[in-house]
Amino acid sequence: MIKALRLNAADNVATLLEDAGKGETVLVISEQNESLGELKLLQAIPFGNKVALRPMNPEDHLIKGGVAVGKAIKPVPQGQLAHVQNIRSLNLDIPEVMINEIITQMEIEVD
Amino acid sequence: MQTFRGYQRADGSVGIRNLIMIIAADECAEGIARAISEKTPGSVVVTNYNTCMYGGNEEMIGTMINAATNPNIAGALVINMGCGSIAPDLVAGPIRATGRPVETLTCIKESGTVSTIREGLKRIAAIVDHANATEMVDAPISKLFVGIKCGGSDTSSGIASNPSVGLAADKLIDMGASAVAGELLELLGCEHILKERAVTPEVFEKIEQLISDEEKRWHVEGTQVETMSVGNSIGGLTTIEEKSLGALAKTGSKPIQDILRINAKKLEKPDVPGMYLSETTMLCGGSAMHFAALGCQVILWTTGGAGFNNPIVPVIRVSGNSQLINEDIDIDATGIMRGEDSLENVSEEILKTLAGVINGEKTAIEDFGYAYCSLIQKDQRVERLLSIPAE
Repeated sequence: MIKALRLNAADNVATLLEDAGKGETVLVISEQNESLGELKLLQAIPFGNKVALRPMNPEDHLIKGGVAVGKAIKPVPQGQLAHVQNIRSLNLDIPEVMINEIITQMEIEVD
Repeated sequence: MQTFRGYQRADGSVGIRNLIMIIAADECAEGIARAISEKTPGSVVVTNYNTCMYGGNEEMIGTMINAATNPNIAGALVINMGCGSIAPDLVAGPIRATGRPVETLTCIKESGTVSTIREGLKRIAAIVDHANATEMVDAPISKLFVGIKCGGSDTSSGIASNPSVGLAADKLIDMGASAVAGELLELLGCEHILKERAVTPEVFEKIEQLISDEEKRWHVEGTQVETMSVGNSIGGLTTIEEKSLGALAKTGSKPIQDILRINAKKLEKPDVPGMYLSETTMLCGGSAMHFAALGCQVILWTTGGAGFNNPIVPVIRVSGNSQLINEDIDIDATGIMRGEDSLENVSEEILKTLAGVINGEKTAIEDFGYAYCSLIQKDQRVERLLSIPAE
Protein backbone atom coordinates (compact mmCIF):
# COMPACT_ATOMS: atom_id res chain seq x y z
CA MET A 1 0.00 0.00 0.00
CA ILE A 2 1.17 3.53 -0.76
CA LYS A 3 2.53 5.24 2.33
CA ALA A 4 2.25 8.79 3.59
CA LEU A 5 4.75 10.01 6.17
CA ARG A 6 3.65 12.09 9.17
CA LEU A 7 6.76 13.81 10.56
CA ASN A 8 5.45 14.92 13.96
CA ALA A 9 2.53 13.98 16.21
CA ALA A 10 1.27 17.58 16.03
CA ASP A 11 1.08 17.54 12.21
CA ASN A 12 -2.21 17.84 10.36
CA VAL A 13 -0.66 16.69 7.07
CA ALA A 14 1.33 13.68 5.86
CA THR A 15 3.68 13.54 2.86
CA LEU A 16 2.98 11.00 0.08
CA LEU A 17 5.98 8.72 -0.55
CA GLU A 18 4.64 7.68 -4.00
CA ASP A 19 2.15 9.04 -6.52
CA ALA A 20 -1.40 8.14 -5.50
CA GLY A 21 -4.66 8.39 -7.47
CA LYS A 22 -8.04 9.81 -6.56
CA GLY A 23 -10.02 7.50 -4.27
CA GLU A 24 -6.95 5.48 -3.37
CA THR A 25 -6.40 4.46 0.27
CA VAL A 26 -2.97 5.20 1.72
CA LEU A 27 -1.25 4.04 4.89
CA VAL A 28 -0.17 6.88 7.16
CA ILE A 29 3.09 6.10 8.98
CA SER A 30 5.12 7.88 11.64
CA GLU A 31 8.81 8.76 11.30
CA GLN A 32 9.55 5.51 13.16
CA ASN A 33 7.66 3.62 10.43
CA GLU A 34 4.74 2.78 12.75
CA SER A 35 1.31 2.49 11.19
CA LEU A 36 -1.01 5.33 12.17
CA GLY A 37 -4.02 4.16 10.17
CA GLU A 38 -5.45 4.40 6.67
CA LEU A 39 -6.83 7.36 4.80
CA LYS A 40 -8.84 7.66 1.58
CA LEU A 41 -7.64 10.37 -0.84
CA LEU A 42 -10.27 12.77 -2.21
CA GLN A 43 -8.06 13.66 -5.16
CA ALA A 44 -4.87 12.51 -6.88
CA ILE A 45 -1.73 13.47 -4.90
CA PRO A 46 1.73 13.16 -6.46
CA PHE A 47 4.88 11.98 -4.66
CA GLY A 48 6.19 14.47 -2.14
CA ASN A 49 2.95 16.39 -1.74
CA LYS A 50 0.81 16.62 1.37
CA VAL A 51 -2.55 15.12 2.31
CA ALA A 52 -4.73 16.65 5.04
CA LEU A 53 -5.01 14.26 7.99
CA ARG A 54 -7.71 16.38 9.62
CA PRO A 55 -10.07 18.94 8.16
CA MET A 56 -8.79 22.53 8.15
CA ASN A 57 -10.89 25.70 8.15
CA PRO A 58 -9.81 29.00 6.57
CA GLU A 59 -7.04 30.62 8.66
CA ASP A 60 -6.18 27.28 10.34
CA HIS A 61 -2.45 26.63 10.35
CA LEU A 62 -0.91 23.85 8.31
CA ILE A 63 1.41 22.02 10.71
CA LYS A 64 4.33 20.01 9.31
CA GLY A 65 7.29 18.79 11.31
CA GLY A 66 5.55 20.21 14.39
CA VAL A 67 5.72 23.77 13.04
CA ALA A 68 3.15 26.07 11.41
CA VAL A 69 4.34 26.52 7.82
CA GLY A 70 1.19 27.98 6.21
CA LYS A 71 -2.50 28.69 6.58
CA ALA A 72 -5.64 27.47 4.84
CA ILE A 73 -7.46 29.94 2.59
CA LYS A 74 -10.49 27.70 2.12
CA PRO A 75 -11.89 24.60 3.84
CA VAL A 76 -9.54 21.63 3.34
CA PRO A 77 -11.35 18.35 4.04
CA GLN A 78 -9.51 15.29 5.36
CA GLY A 79 -7.94 13.38 2.44
CA GLN A 80 -7.54 16.50 0.26
CA LEU A 81 -4.26 17.67 -1.26
CA ALA A 82 -2.92 20.53 0.90
CA HIS A 83 -1.00 22.72 -1.55
CA VAL A 84 -0.94 26.03 -3.40
CA GLN A 85 -4.66 25.88 -4.33
CA ASN A 86 -5.80 25.97 -0.69
CA ILE A 87 -2.76 26.98 1.43
CA ARG A 88 -0.82 30.28 1.64
CA SER A 89 2.38 31.41 3.33
CA LEU A 90 2.25 33.06 6.74
CA ASN A 91 4.90 35.55 5.60
CA LEU A 92 5.52 35.99 1.90
CA ASP A 93 3.51 34.50 -0.97
CA ILE A 94 4.61 33.58 -4.44
CA PRO A 95 2.87 35.50 -7.27
CA GLU A 96 -0.66 34.45 -8.20
CA VAL A 97 0.45 33.85 -11.81
CA MET A 98 2.93 31.25 -10.55
CA ILE A 99 0.31 29.62 -8.34
CA ASN A 100 -1.88 29.20 -11.41
CA GLU A 101 1.06 27.83 -13.38
CA ILE A 102 1.76 25.25 -10.65
CA ILE A 103 -1.93 24.25 -10.54
CA THR A 104 -1.92 23.83 -14.34
CA GLN A 105 1.37 21.92 -14.52
CA MET A 106 0.39 19.60 -11.66
CA GLU A 107 -3.17 19.20 -13.01
CA ILE A 108 -4.55 19.90 -9.54
CA GLU A 109 -8.32 19.48 -9.21
CA VAL A 110 -9.60 22.78 -7.86
CA ASP A 111 -13.09 22.78 -6.34
CA MET B 1 38.54 11.62 10.20
CA GLN B 2 41.09 13.39 12.38
CA THR B 3 43.38 14.70 9.64
CA PHE B 4 43.43 15.16 5.89
CA ARG B 5 46.23 15.28 3.37
CA GLY B 6 46.34 18.69 1.75
CA TYR B 7 48.36 21.52 0.24
CA GLN B 8 50.01 23.86 2.73
CA ARG B 9 49.60 27.56 1.88
CA ALA B 10 51.80 30.42 3.09
CA ASP B 11 48.85 31.96 4.98
CA GLY B 12 48.45 28.83 7.12
CA SER B 13 45.43 27.40 5.31
CA VAL B 14 45.44 23.95 3.74
CA GLY B 15 43.82 23.20 0.38
CA ILE B 16 42.31 19.92 -0.75
CA ARG B 17 43.02 20.87 -4.39
CA ASN B 18 45.97 22.64 -5.96
CA LEU B 19 44.48 24.95 -8.58
CA ILE B 20 45.58 28.07 -10.41
CA MET B 21 43.03 30.81 -10.91
CA ILE B 22 42.95 32.86 -14.07
CA ILE B 23 40.88 35.96 -13.48
CA ALA B 24 39.35 37.95 -16.32
CA ALA B 25 38.88 41.18 -14.37
CA ASP B 26 36.57 42.43 -17.10
CA GLU B 27 34.50 40.36 -19.51
CA CYS B 28 36.52 41.53 -22.52
CA ALA B 29 39.51 39.61 -21.16
CA GLU B 30 37.60 36.33 -20.92
CA GLY B 31 38.68 34.93 -24.32
CA ILE B 32 42.31 35.48 -23.39
CA ALA B 33 41.82 33.84 -19.98
CA ARG B 34 40.16 30.79 -21.60
CA ALA B 35 42.90 30.45 -24.22
CA ILE B 36 45.55 30.35 -21.49
CA SER B 37 43.48 28.00 -19.33
CA GLU B 38 43.02 25.51 -22.19
CA LYS B 39 46.78 24.99 -22.25
CA THR B 40 47.16 25.00 -18.44
CA PRO B 41 45.92 21.83 -16.71
CA GLY B 42 44.61 22.49 -13.21
CA SER B 43 43.58 26.06 -13.96
CA VAL B 44 40.14 27.58 -13.43
CA VAL B 45 38.78 30.71 -15.09
CA VAL B 46 36.83 33.29 -13.13
CA THR B 47 35.26 36.02 -15.21
CA ASN B 48 33.66 39.24 -14.07
CA TYR B 49 30.73 39.29 -16.48
CA ASN B 50 29.12 42.21 -14.72
CA THR B 51 30.99 45.27 -15.92
CA CYS B 52 34.46 46.64 -16.53
CA MET B 53 33.63 49.49 -14.12
CA TYR B 54 34.36 49.31 -10.42
CA GLY B 55 31.70 51.53 -8.79
CA GLY B 56 28.64 49.60 -7.61
CA ASN B 57 30.24 46.19 -7.97
CA GLU B 58 32.56 46.18 -4.97
CA GLU B 59 30.97 43.09 -3.42
CA MET B 60 31.46 41.05 -6.57
CA ILE B 61 35.08 42.12 -7.00
CA GLY B 62 35.77 41.44 -3.30
CA THR B 63 34.27 37.99 -3.76
CA MET B 64 36.57 37.34 -6.73
CA ILE B 65 39.63 38.39 -4.74
CA ASN B 66 38.65 36.26 -1.75
CA ALA B 67 37.90 33.26 -3.97
CA ALA B 68 41.46 33.54 -5.30
CA THR B 69 42.75 33.26 -1.73
CA ASN B 70 40.70 30.09 -1.11
CA PRO B 71 42.92 27.33 0.32
CA ASN B 72 42.37 25.31 -2.89
CA ILE B 73 44.12 28.01 -4.96
CA ALA B 74 47.93 28.00 -5.31
CA GLY B 75 48.32 31.23 -7.28
CA ALA B 76 46.61 33.51 -9.76
CA LEU B 77 46.94 35.30 -13.08
CA VAL B 78 44.86 38.46 -13.39
CA ILE B 79 44.07 39.81 -16.86
CA ASN B 80 42.16 42.88 -17.96
CA MET B 81 41.58 44.61 -21.27
CA GLY B 82 42.88 47.97 -20.11
CA CYS B 83 40.19 50.45 -21.11
CA GLY B 84 37.89 49.83 -18.12
CA SER B 85 38.26 50.79 -14.45
CA ILE B 86 39.31 47.56 -12.79
CA ALA B 87 43.08 47.72 -12.72
CA PRO B 88 44.57 44.24 -12.34
CA ASP B 89 46.58 45.26 -9.28
CA LEU B 90 43.36 46.14 -7.49
CA VAL B 91 42.55 42.43 -7.68
CA ALA B 92 46.10 41.05 -7.52
CA GLY B 93 47.32 43.06 -4.50
CA PRO B 94 45.21 41.38 -1.80
CA ILE B 95 45.91 37.95 -3.33
CA ARG B 96 49.66 38.61 -3.24
CA ALA B 97 49.35 39.64 0.42
CA THR B 98 48.39 36.04 1.30
CA GLY B 99 51.75 34.83 -0.01
CA ARG B 100 50.40 33.43 -3.27
CA PRO B 101 52.28 34.13 -6.50
CA VAL B 102 50.28 36.49 -8.73
CA GLU B 103 50.92 37.82 -12.22
CA THR B 104 48.99 40.59 -13.95
CA LEU B 105 48.53 41.37 -17.64
CA THR B 106 46.79 44.20 -19.44
CA CYS B 107 45.89 43.37 -23.03
CA ILE B 108 46.30 46.89 -24.41
CA LYS B 109 49.77 47.24 -22.84
CA GLU B 110 50.79 43.81 -24.14
CA SER B 111 50.00 44.84 -27.72
CA GLY B 112 46.88 42.78 -28.16
CA THR B 113 45.21 39.45 -27.65
CA VAL B 114 47.68 37.12 -29.33
CA SER B 115 50.72 38.50 -27.55
CA THR B 116 48.85 38.61 -24.20
CA ILE B 117 48.04 34.91 -24.56
CA ARG B 118 51.69 34.19 -25.41
CA GLU B 119 52.94 36.23 -22.44
CA GLY B 120 50.26 34.75 -20.16
CA LEU B 121 51.39 31.21 -20.96
CA LYS B 122 54.95 32.21 -20.17
CA ARG B 123 54.03 33.83 -16.84
CA ILE B 124 51.65 31.10 -15.72
CA ALA B 125 54.43 28.52 -16.07
CA ALA B 126 56.13 29.99 -12.98
CA ILE B 127 52.89 29.73 -11.02
CA VAL B 128 52.46 26.12 -12.15
CA ASP B 129 55.99 25.41 -10.91
CA HIS B 130 55.12 26.99 -7.56
CA ALA B 131 51.93 24.89 -7.33
CA ASN B 132 53.81 21.70 -8.18
CA ALA B 133 56.40 22.46 -5.52
CA THR B 134 53.76 23.04 -2.82
CA GLU B 135 54.34 20.87 0.22
CA MET B 136 51.66 18.36 1.19
CA VAL B 137 50.91 17.99 4.89
CA ASP B 138 48.68 16.03 7.24
CA ALA B 139 46.38 18.82 8.35
CA PRO B 140 44.19 18.66 11.44
CA ILE B 141 40.47 18.51 10.76
CA SER B 142 40.21 21.97 12.37
CA LYS B 143 41.59 23.31 9.06
CA LEU B 144 38.51 22.03 7.23
CA PHE B 145 35.68 24.44 6.38
CA VAL B 146 32.67 22.88 4.70
CA GLY B 147 30.02 24.80 2.77
CA ILE B 148 26.48 23.45 2.99
CA LYS B 149 23.92 24.25 0.34
CA CYS B 150 20.58 22.96 -0.89
CA GLY B 151 19.26 23.40 -4.40
CA GLY B 152 16.34 22.34 -6.55
CA SER B 153 14.66 21.52 -3.25
CA ASP B 154 11.69 19.20 -3.18
CA THR B 155 9.94 17.36 -0.40
CA SER B 156 12.71 14.72 -0.22
CA SER B 157 15.25 17.45 0.58
CA GLY B 158 13.54 18.34 3.85
CA ILE B 159 12.90 14.72 4.84
CA ALA B 160 16.01 12.85 3.66
CA SER B 161 19.02 14.72 2.27
CA ASN B 162 18.94 17.91 4.39
CA PRO B 163 18.59 16.18 7.79
CA SER B 164 21.28 13.63 6.79
CA VAL B 165 23.67 16.43 5.91
CA GLY B 166 22.64 18.23 9.11
CA LEU B 167 23.57 15.19 11.16
CA ALA B 168 26.88 14.88 9.28
CA ALA B 169 27.49 18.59 10.01
CA ASP B 170 26.86 18.01 13.73
CA LYS B 171 29.43 15.20 13.69
CA LEU B 172 31.94 17.37 11.79
CA ILE B 173 31.57 20.13 14.38
CA ASP B 174 32.13 17.56 17.15
CA MET B 175 35.37 16.52 15.40
CA GLY B 176 36.53 20.16 15.42
CA ALA B 177 35.83 21.21 11.82
CA SER B 178 33.75 24.23 10.80
CA ALA B 179 30.78 24.45 8.47
CA VAL B 180 28.69 27.24 6.98
CA ALA B 181 25.30 27.47 5.32
CA GLY B 182 23.76 30.46 3.58
CA GLU B 183 20.60 31.49 1.76
CA LEU B 184 19.08 33.78 4.34
CA LEU B 185 15.74 34.31 2.58
CA GLU B 186 15.18 30.61 3.03
CA LEU B 187 15.47 31.00 6.79
CA LEU B 188 12.41 33.26 6.80
CA GLY B 189 10.00 31.74 9.32
CA CYS B 190 12.79 29.92 11.21
CA GLU B 191 13.67 32.84 13.48
CA HIS B 192 12.28 31.16 16.62
CA ILE B 193 14.62 28.18 16.10
CA LEU B 194 17.63 30.34 15.22
CA LYS B 195 17.07 32.38 18.37
CA GLU B 196 17.67 29.25 20.45
CA ARG B 197 20.78 28.29 18.48
CA ALA B 198 22.60 31.63 18.26
CA VAL B 199 25.49 31.69 20.76
CA THR B 200 24.59 35.19 21.95
CA PRO B 201 21.59 37.56 21.66
CA GLU B 202 23.86 39.81 19.53
CA VAL B 203 24.40 37.01 17.01
CA PHE B 204 20.64 36.42 16.87
CA GLU B 205 19.98 40.13 16.30
CA LYS B 206 22.47 40.07 13.45
CA ILE B 207 20.74 37.00 11.96
CA GLU B 208 17.34 38.70 12.20
CA GLN B 209 18.67 41.90 10.63
CA LEU B 210 20.34 40.14 7.72
CA ILE B 211 17.28 37.97 7.00
CA SER B 212 15.19 41.14 6.91
CA ASP B 213 17.74 42.85 4.60
CA GLU B 214 17.53 39.87 2.29
CA GLU B 215 13.75 40.05 2.32
CA LYS B 216 14.02 43.73 1.30
CA ARG B 217 16.40 42.81 -1.46
CA TRP B 218 14.05 40.24 -2.95
CA HIS B 219 10.67 41.68 -2.06
CA VAL B 220 10.18 45.30 -2.96
CA GLU B 221 6.64 46.45 -2.12
CA GLY B 222 4.49 46.54 -5.22
CA THR B 223 6.55 44.00 -7.13
CA GLN B 224 6.21 40.26 -7.25
CA VAL B 225 8.62 38.00 -5.44
CA GLU B 226 9.66 34.46 -6.15
CA THR B 227 10.44 32.95 -2.80
CA MET B 228 10.40 29.55 -4.41
CA SER B 229 10.51 28.14 -7.90
CA VAL B 230 7.74 26.31 -9.79
CA GLY B 231 10.03 23.27 -9.56
CA ASN B 232 10.12 23.53 -5.76
CA SER B 233 6.30 23.56 -5.66
CA ILE B 234 5.78 20.70 -8.06
CA GLY B 235 8.28 18.84 -5.89
CA GLY B 236 5.82 19.20 -3.01
CA LEU B 237 6.77 22.45 -1.24
CA THR B 238 3.86 24.81 -0.68
CA THR B 239 5.20 27.81 1.25
CA ILE B 240 8.50 29.56 1.96
CA GLU B 241 8.21 28.51 5.62
CA GLU B 242 8.02 24.84 4.61
CA LYS B 243 11.03 25.29 2.34
CA SER B 244 12.85 27.20 5.08
CA LEU B 245 12.42 24.47 7.68
CA GLY B 246 13.74 21.91 5.23
CA ALA B 247 16.64 24.22 4.39
CA LEU B 248 17.40 24.76 8.06
CA ALA B 249 17.63 20.99 8.63
CA LYS B 250 20.90 20.91 6.66
CA THR B 251 22.55 23.10 9.30
CA GLY B 252 22.13 20.40 11.97
CA SER B 253 21.57 21.32 15.59
CA LYS B 254 24.82 22.79 16.88
CA PRO B 255 25.10 26.35 18.22
CA ILE B 256 25.45 29.04 15.54
CA GLN B 257 28.69 30.94 16.19
CA ASP B 258 28.05 33.86 13.90
CA ILE B 259 26.57 34.95 10.62
CA LEU B 260 29.30 35.85 8.15
CA ARG B 261 28.59 38.98 6.14
CA ILE B 262 29.54 39.30 2.50
CA ASN B 263 29.17 42.84 1.20
CA ALA B 264 30.98 45.73 -0.42
CA LYS B 265 32.93 46.59 2.73
CA LYS B 266 33.71 43.23 4.27
CA LEU B 267 33.83 39.51 3.89
CA GLU B 268 33.81 37.93 7.33
CA LYS B 269 35.57 34.65 8.07
CA PRO B 270 35.11 32.30 11.01
CA ASP B 271 37.27 32.95 14.05
CA VAL B 272 36.37 29.96 16.22
CA PRO B 273 35.49 26.43 14.99
CA GLY B 274 31.81 25.57 14.73
CA MET B 275 28.63 26.04 12.73
CA TYR B 276 28.06 29.32 10.91
CA LEU B 277 25.44 30.98 8.78
CA SER B 278 26.43 33.40 6.04
CA GLU B 279 25.14 35.74 3.40
CA THR B 280 25.96 33.35 0.54
CA THR B 281 23.29 33.72 -2.10
CA MET B 282 20.51 31.13 -2.41
CA LEU B 283 21.22 30.93 -6.17
CA CYS B 284 23.32 27.81 -6.63
CA GLY B 285 25.96 28.89 -9.16
CA GLY B 286 26.70 32.20 -7.44
CA SER B 287 26.66 30.60 -4.01
CA ALA B 288 29.65 28.43 -4.87
CA MET B 289 31.62 31.59 -5.57
CA HIS B 290 30.56 32.95 -2.17
CA PHE B 291 31.54 29.67 -0.45
CA ALA B 292 34.89 29.81 -2.24
CA ALA B 293 35.37 33.40 -1.02
CA LEU B 294 34.60 32.42 2.57
CA GLY B 295 37.36 29.82 2.32
CA CYS B 296 35.37 26.56 2.12
CA GLN B 297 37.41 23.76 0.57
CA VAL B 298 34.41 21.56 -0.20
CA ILE B 299 30.61 21.85 -0.49
CA LEU B 300 27.95 19.38 0.63
CA TRP B 301 24.99 19.97 -1.65
CA THR B 302 21.57 18.43 -1.19
CA THR B 303 19.19 18.33 -4.08
CA GLY B 304 15.78 17.33 -5.26
CA GLY B 305 16.47 18.71 -8.72
CA ALA B 306 19.37 19.12 -11.11
CA GLY B 307 22.56 20.83 -10.12
CA PHE B 308 25.61 23.01 -10.41
CA ASN B 309 29.26 22.14 -10.25
CA ASN B 310 32.17 24.34 -9.30
CA PRO B 311 35.81 24.02 -10.33
CA ILE B 312 37.23 25.80 -7.24
CA VAL B 313 35.31 23.99 -4.51
CA PRO B 314 34.40 20.33 -5.17
CA VAL B 315 30.66 19.69 -4.74
CA ILE B 316 29.46 16.46 -3.09
CA ARG B 317 25.89 15.79 -4.19
CA VAL B 318 23.35 14.21 -1.88
CA SER B 319 19.82 13.37 -3.02
CA GLY B 320 16.74 11.64 -1.63
CA ASN B 321 14.78 11.91 -4.87
CA SER B 322 14.74 8.50 -6.57
CA GLN B 323 13.96 10.06 -9.95
CA LEU B 324 17.23 11.94 -9.73
CA ILE B 325 19.59 9.17 -8.79
CA ASN B 326 22.14 8.76 -11.57
CA GLU B 327 25.90 8.75 -11.80
CA ASP B 328 26.05 12.48 -10.93
CA ILE B 329 24.95 11.85 -7.36
CA ASP B 330 27.62 11.01 -4.77
CA ILE B 331 25.24 10.01 -1.94
CA ASP B 332 21.92 8.20 -2.38
CA ALA B 333 19.56 9.11 0.46
CA THR B 334 16.44 7.62 -1.18
CA GLY B 335 16.32 4.76 1.33
CA ILE B 336 15.08 7.26 3.91
CA MET B 337 12.15 8.18 1.65
CA ARG B 338 11.20 4.50 1.45
CA GLY B 339 11.49 4.02 5.19
CA GLU B 340 14.36 1.57 4.59
CA ASP B 341 17.39 3.60 5.62
CA SER B 342 18.20 5.84 8.58
CA LEU B 343 19.54 9.38 8.83
CA GLU B 344 22.35 7.91 10.93
CA ASN B 345 23.47 5.56 8.13
CA VAL B 346 23.29 8.20 5.44
CA SER B 347 25.19 10.73 7.58
CA GLU B 348 27.97 8.14 7.99
CA GLU B 349 28.00 7.62 4.20
CA ILE B 350 28.32 11.38 3.72
CA LEU B 351 31.30 11.53 6.12
CA LYS B 352 32.95 8.59 4.37
CA THR B 353 32.62 10.24 0.97
CA LEU B 354 33.74 13.58 2.40
CA ALA B 355 36.84 11.94 3.88
CA GLY B 356 37.67 10.57 0.43
CA VAL B 357 37.14 13.89 -1.34
CA ILE B 358 39.24 15.93 1.11
CA ASN B 359 42.01 13.39 0.62
CA GLY B 360 42.03 13.79 -3.14
CA GLU B 361 39.27 11.51 -4.48
CA LYS B 362 37.20 13.16 -7.17
CA THR B 363 33.49 13.86 -6.71
CA ALA B 364 31.12 12.22 -9.21
CA ILE B 365 31.27 15.13 -11.67
CA GLU B 366 34.38 16.98 -10.54
CA ASP B 367 36.06 16.97 -13.94
CA PHE B 368 33.02 17.71 -16.07
CA GLY B 369 32.02 21.07 -17.38
CA TYR B 370 32.89 24.31 -15.74
CA ALA B 371 31.07 26.89 -13.72
CA TYR B 372 31.37 30.44 -14.92
CA CYS B 373 32.07 31.59 -11.40
CA SER B 374 30.23 34.75 -12.16
CA LEU B 375 28.38 36.50 -9.41
CA ILE B 376 26.01 39.41 -9.62
CA GLN B 377 24.46 39.86 -6.22
CA LYS B 378 24.56 43.14 -4.37
CA ASP B 379 24.95 46.08 -6.70
CA GLN B 380 25.84 48.88 -4.29
CA ARG B 381 23.67 51.36 -6.16
CA VAL B 382 20.60 49.17 -5.67
CA GLU B 383 21.55 48.44 -2.05
CA ARG B 384 21.61 52.16 -1.42
CA LEU B 385 18.13 52.61 -2.91
CA LEU B 386 16.85 49.85 -0.63
CA SER B 387 18.49 51.52 2.40
CA ILE B 388 20.57 48.44 3.14
CA PRO B 389 23.81 49.57 4.82
CA ALA B 390 27.07 47.91 3.78
CA GLU B 391 28.70 48.28 7.19
